Amino acid sequence: MFRGILFAFAGGACITLQGVANSRISDDIGTWQAATITQLTGFIMALAIYLFVRDGDLGGFRRVKPLYLAGGAFGSVIIFSEVTAIQTIGVTFTISALLIAQLCVTFLIDTFGWFGTSKSKMGVPQFIGLAMMIGGVLIMKM
Amino acid sequence: MAFGLLLAAFAGAMVALQTIFNNRTDIHMGSWATTTWVLGMGFLASLACSLIFEGGRTFQLQHMQPWYWFSGMIGVGVVICLVLGVKILGPTFSVSVTLTAQLGFALLFDSMGWLGLEKVDFDWKQIAGVAVLIGGIYVFKFGGKKKTEASERSASPLGDTP
Repeated sequence: MFRGILFAFAGGACITLQGVANSRISDDIGTWQAATITQLTGFIMALAIYLFVRDGDLGGFRRVKPLYLAGGAFGSVIIFSEVTAIQTIGVTFTISALLIAQLCVTFLIDTFGWFGTSKSKMGVPQFIGLAMMIGGVLIMKM
Repeated sequence: MAFGLLLAAFAGAMVALQTIFNNRTDIHMGSWATTTWVLGMGFLASLACSLIFEGGRTFQLQHMQPWYWFSGMIGVGVVICLVLGVKILGPTFSVSVTLTAQLGFALLFDSMGWLGLEKVDFDWKQIAGVAVLIGGIYVFKFGGKKKTEASERSASPLGDTP
């Protein structure tokens, strides 16, 4: 249990660290270049781990819809937007707005059952939660 | 301010979409093959954008510092941590903790001005704002039982649940 919390927490810390590091690197070599290099080195590392653990099948891509396979390409615009946002409004506002939009879109997709997700209704607690999250950003802006 | 918030929100919307697409890929390929694929596609798309918008400057990396080459590996650490977190805690609790850490560290980075960030003065409004925001995440994640396993999986930041 404690180990799980530690992993989940470290994962979150690394996500933020990654955004800040990308923004720092972009200052020096340009944002698209930073996105290119960090994803290239990440790709090489992930490939090495995959070849070592062999937990799945890279050839399985033939069974995946092309649209879903193309999702990885979003990484470029995600990094570009996040870095530009961090440079404009700072890390806290960027992560806050990013997470709110992320949860909103996820629930929109789930509500309508798009992309083969199982339909699920947005309950009152989810609306309250989102309202609190937006409220939090407004408090910071005061 | 509005422009920055809009860009961040756009990034968040894309992360949500990508997470669901990654989950679909994960079913057929497994975590590491999916991570490899996603980063490979991201690399190709970024290289294409770089060539279009920056042209020859794509390969002029004169301000490059050694650690820049290794920072891409942070993403690999993220995948390992998230996969293990979800395995031990289940998606709802694990994702909530991850989001809390994301926001907590964002506040820390801003107030410390680490890695060349513009230092933002740390005041009560920011702590209160982040606290309310995190409270909202827990209400959202733990409130009611209307969500299905599939929707909780798709809420994980990278979608690489085992």
